[in-house]
Amino acid sequence: MLEAALEHLVRGIVDNPDDVQVDLVTGRRGRTLEVRVHPDDLGKVIGRGGRTARALRQIMSGVGGRGLRVDVVDTDA
Amino acid sequence: MTQQIEFPATDADGASAEASPAETSEASPAETSDAEASPPAAERGEALLVREGDIAADYLERLLDVLDYDGDIDLDVEGDRAVVAVVGGSLRGLIGPNGATLDALQELTRLAVTQQTGLRTRLMLDVGGFRAKRRTELSELALRTATEVREGGTAQTLAPMNPFERKVVHDAISAVDGVHTESEGDEPNRCVVVLPGE
Repeated sequence: MLEAALEHLVRGIVDNPDDVQVDLVTGRRGRTLEVRVHPDDLGKVIGRGGRTARALRQIMSGVGGRGLRVDVVDTDA
Repeated sequence: MTQQIEFPATDADGASAEASPAETSEASPAETSDAEASPPAAERGEALLVREGDIAADYLERLLDVLDYDGDIDLDVEGDRAVVAVVGGSLRGLIGPNGATLDALQELTRLAVTQQTGLRTRLMLDVGGFRAKRRTELSELALRTATEVREGGTAQTLAPMNPFERKVVHDAISAVDGVHTESEGDEPNRCVVVLPGE
């Protein structure tokens, strides 16, 4: 549900919605939603000064509880 | 899950739904060189606001669906902005402390609208009546402060507020004689200052 919610939020703001992938990973540091997007959309998902990524984190912790992390994965790396 | 939204045909001047990138970055009615383009631009403005509301509603409805939240969406146009309100059941998760989650969701919703229209939007989102209630509280605070400043003759600085909240305060006090307002400081600590004098 959380993955689907984040995937929906991200798909709506990118040029390549079909390339959006979100995975929920549970590790020692808790739950992390990993977001992968088309390299051309990376800037859109991060936003100026990280503004959009911050907004996504705020929403996901609002609906998923504190400690839920959101990582935008740079697939070029 | 690609968003496919049907838009009502724009009849004003046949403005196409897809603006070219060249038009989008700086597009504002004031910059249209042709003087006679003004009335159609105004009509297009109204149609654009309606379209913004439709796109936002679609984006938010799907989010509510996915989260299994109950909620209805009300659309309105207030002045020169689209207003989208999510109303209903338990929406606290979408409001957050001091409306922080609501602000974030408004930001995302604006981006989703811009993604489709190619134009910046000033769309306002409310959830569970949070902004409406906040607006009432702030207007009361503004008027109380304005009265104190006018009678005491000393400026007062209000607590830091977000842009929406500051605008509510500025608007409320602009209707009061004998005082005026300014904003000071940088986000997120920007404050409204109420000063004596016109």
